[in-house]
Amino acid sequence: MNNFEYTRASDVADAVRRIASDPAAKFVAGGTNLIDLMKENVARPSRLIDITHLPLDQIDETQDGGLRIGALVPNSDLAQHPQIEARYPLLGSAILAGASPQLRNMASTGGNLLQRTRCLYFYDTTTPCNKREPGSGCSAIGGINRMHAILGTSEHCIATHPSDMCVALAALEARVLATGRSGERSIAFAEFHRLPGDTPQLDSNLRADEIITAIELPPEGFAKNYTYLKIRDRLSYAFALVSIAVGLDIEGGTIKEARLALGGVAHKPWRNREAEARLEGAPATRENFVRAAETVLREARGFGHNDFKIELARRGILRALAQAARGTPQSQADKRIR
Amino acid sequence: MRPAKFGFGQPVRRKEDEAFLRGSGRYVADFAPQGLCHAAVLRSPHAHARFRIENAAAARGMPGVRLVLTAADVAELGFLPCTASVPDQTIAVPPYPIVANGEALHVGDCLAFVVADTLFQAQDAVEAIALDWEALPCVVDGRAALAEGAPRVATGRAGNLAYETSIGDAQATRSAFAAARHRVSLNLVNQRLVANYLDTRGVIGEYDPARDRITLTLSSQGGHAVRDMLCEPVLKIPAERMRVITPDVGGGFGTKLFPYREYALAAVAAKRLRRPVKWVAGRTEHFLGDAHGRDNFTLAELALDEEARFLALRVDTIANLGAYLSCYAPLIPYLGAGMLPGVYDIPVCHVRVRAAYTNTLPVDAYRGAGRPEAAYVIERLVDAAARDLGIAPDRLRKRNFIRPRAMPYRTATGKRYDSGEFSAHMAQAQASADWKGFNKRLARAKKAGRLRGIGLATYIEACGGNGPENAKLRLEADGGVELLIGTQSTGQGHHTAYAQLVADHLDLPPERVRVVQGDTDLIATGGGTGGSSSIPCGGASVAGAARKLAANLKTLAADALEASPADLEIAGGEVRIAGTDRSIAFAAIAKLPGADAERLTAQDVFVPPQETFPNGTHVAEVEIDPDTGAVDIISYVVVDDFGMTLNPLLLAGQVHGGSAQGIGQALMERTVYDAESGQLITASLMDYALPRAADVPAFRFETRNVRCRTNPLGVKGAGEAGAIGSCPAVMNAIADALWRAFRIRHIDMPATPERIWAAIEEGRRVHTL
Repeated sequence: MNNFEYTRASDVADAVRRIASDPAAKFVAGGTNLIDLMKENVARPSRLIDITHLPLDQIDETQDGGLRIGALVPNSDLAQHPQIEARYPLLGSAILAGASPQLRNMASTGGNLLQRTRCLYFYDTTTPCNKREPGSGCSAIGGINRMHAILGTSEHCIATHPSDMCVALAALEARVLATGRSGERSIAFAEFHRLPGDTPQLDSNLRADEIITAIELPPEGFAKNYTYLKIRDRLSYAFALVSIAVGLDIEGGTIKEARLALGGVAHKPWRNREAEARLEGAPATRENFVRAAETVLREARGFGHNDFKIELARRGILRALAQAARGTPQSQADKRIR
Repeated sequence: MRPAKFGFGQPVRRKEDEAFLRGSGRYVADFAPQGLCHAAVLRSPHAHARFRIENAAAARGMPGVRLVLTAADVAELGFLPCTASVPDQTIAVPPYPIVANGEALHVGDCLAFVVADTLFQAQDAVEAIALDWEALPCVVDGRAALAEGAPRVATGRAGNLAYETSIGDAQATRSAFAAARHRVSLNLVNQRLVANYLDTRGVIGEYDPARDRITLTLSSQGGHAVRDMLCEPVLKIPAERMRVITPDVGGGFGTKLFPYREYALAAVAAKRLRRPVKWVAGRTEHFLGDAHGRDNFTLAELALDEEARFLALRVDTIANLGAYLSCYAPLIPYLGAGMLPGVYDIPVCHVRVRAAYTNTLPVDAYRGAGRPEAAYVIERLVDAAARDLGIAPDRLRKRNFIRPRAMPYRTATGKRYDSGEFSAHMAQAQASADWKGFNKRLARAKKAGRLRGIGLATYIEACGGNGPENAKLRLEADGGVELLIGTQSTGQGHHTAYAQLVADHLDLPPERVRVVQGDTDLIATGGGTGGSSSIPCGGASVAGAARKLAANLKTLAADALEASPADLEIAGGEVRIAGTDRSIAFAAIAKLPGADAERLTAQDVFVPPQETFPNGTHVAEVEIDPDTGAVDIISYVVVDDFGMTLNPLLLAGQVHGGSAQGIGQALMERTVYDAESGQLITASLMDYALPRAADVPAFRFETRNVRCRTNPLGVKGAGEAGAIGSCPAVMNAIADALWRAFRIRHIDMPATPERIWAAIEEGRRVHTL
């Protein structure tokens, strides 16, 4: 672990000023990922700017009836917030599917979006990794890639985004509010994270001088027909092999609106509008679920150890759509998959 | 005598728990004597390499660094001893240096010990030591190590075979197989495990120059053995010059029985620096620095006649012992070999064991040490035979059990079972598990698209032989008693259990019995805690001492009360004349003129005449999700024969914990070394999957005891049994589910979702139902 300076931001403008003046600085909130990366020598910030004292820990209703979640709201508070439990149980469920209670108590909403891949090669500083050291190569391609991506990969990187919460946010079409030197902007969730392409070192489109201040949820939360199904090697404390967030609006057996997002399969939470469109206007039947799954996975490609993920994702999508359609979402307390 | 309220058989609650729950437990890591220095270990990143330390001097000059110990700095130290032997075998024990000298033999091998004012300074100095490496070829798999042309594990060793031995009659076994109607064979892997106690190993070394005496405070399963193995063989000092203190210990599982390198190094460093030196393992260091468990490859074969009676057993095992021979390592595969016939009447058998060196952590005792391996082999083999012959597994067992009237029974491997009614506990377990109703449940599961299986294991194991054990009991001035004993609780509840045995004779409540353990200065001798022996051996000596002290107190009271000792009885902390109100309190007895130290003290030594043989049946019922390969243990029943039950709560705790460990092995745990680089891939809890609450079922635990004929308390020992019965029961249930659905015959531990998924995919390919 390298030495670093520690400073504290007094307000959002101060935080932006501080990050803009030092490209090697990093914001720290919960520190649940960044400190690990520093211990492993993967992240070597010159300075940590503590933002935990900024007033970004509120959850408020927005004018259009949605919800605005401050970037510093801890994951555990968010998951248990009455509005989330009542109106956006998909988000709460996804959060509870991840990490451990201790980590969720510390981890912030904004930080969750910015957590980095758990690719073993990214963490192992003795191996090449384009995400860690651009141009050095990808060790996962041709290496041990059981946990890696099957969609949206590039020849430079096949890492996955590790978040559960983000998969639900993608399905819910959340927006990310960020403030930088040129003011505040709102980013559609689908535009927030990036695919690796030839710049795998960039996880998101957040600019270097920007700080996430809030997440906004639209009014529709799919509270009746939803599920977050996380398939992993063990029942707790493991990242997803494949996870599926589903939100359905069903009327008289017909799907009016469908949201389907996958985690653990790509460099970002994976949504496929075409698959959703195939479900919309159609009855909630297994045949239609199969067609949607096929659409999602049409372009999927394995890299050896992770070939199974394509079939696992297919089965997971079918299971998740069935859970959501019949209104029996996956329990995150009894983690066994039904 | 009437049964004591807190005596044998009572569900007395653990008296030690209040302190733990209030956070006043004290573990090694909690101690911080004045002037404490901190140590970190430089460990080998290579599985096998020659190395030269280039700049120890630079590290010595770093801020706060007080001492750097390399092999050259501790050249006077002896090797870590390997005290176990195998009958009729001369094993050339290779050197196990305290610090590797120029050649590292496994990832994690100790290359230097750095002491600094703070832990971070010590860790920084460890990182700053530059080494010159020459990587050498390595081998990490036991089978590969014994193959032709395998790389040598260590330069200068004759080969990678530590020893080869066999038990039984090879010729008679061969003949029986040749004549048999049926022959069944099975290849099994008993994978390597890492103990993973919560309380990682640690040591604090202190030196008293005035008395030239070292005190080590360390996390052990018995300080006497650690002291004796460190003093003469390693430090070359007499045992009187060392005191070993063991405070509270959070888990041992066998792996804390042995002396480890850091203990010797902390002693040396404390003496050289004249300051206390502390080392505590982190979690990854636990994976890299503590002995591992299990790691066997086995081919097992069973010969049966036309009536499906067992004729002969043949087993060939390769045991991976790691790079060095740890303390009891060579004995463990041999112990296992002796228990292979299990609960069955098998006329002849032949077991061949080859023990291999590899470039991995040394393997040594871990919960069960050889007996889980044996039970796993025989119980899975019997199930395989049942499948091959088309007989129900319970029927096949019943036909071949050793009959109660055959007791005492000598097995073909030479073990002498004293007692056991195997049919009876199997029947009870099957009834509790509603074995008969399985088909209905299977049909329901099928309808829901799930695979379902049921499996059982009727295990037997050998334990209770860790003796002799000495108990010393003393009446204190306040009328309570103090018990000094050399066993070591690592969480089992000894304080409560021993108090119950005292209560039987002195009728004192648990809080009036002060148990003192874990200090070699206070306690003269001790066998430590291992091999499920603390109740069979320690308990027997406690009961003996309590009986003697009761007699002493009656003698003293007889004078005071002017009565015959025969007319006296002990109750409620006093001695009274039976049927009268004339009595004298223990506290008053302690003050009587004749109450000298000798009269107020009683001692008893118990020497176990032979091993005890706990046995029982585990029944597991599982469901498998064919879409994901995930296993769900729906129900779990254990019916054990532990001889006698001292405390049903403590007993259930042992069975639950042991079964959870076995379920962890069956479903999740696996130590993986990369075959090429020899790297330990699973060196953290992210990579090594321990069972958590959600993975473990609710246990239904019952006893069906048959009093042990060779133990004065009638007990058989219970610490390891859970880990012995559970692996085969769970795996037999999984194998049953996979066989029913897809005719899949083989699955190895750990039966992870990935493995089951792969097996199902293969099964679907070749066998469409």
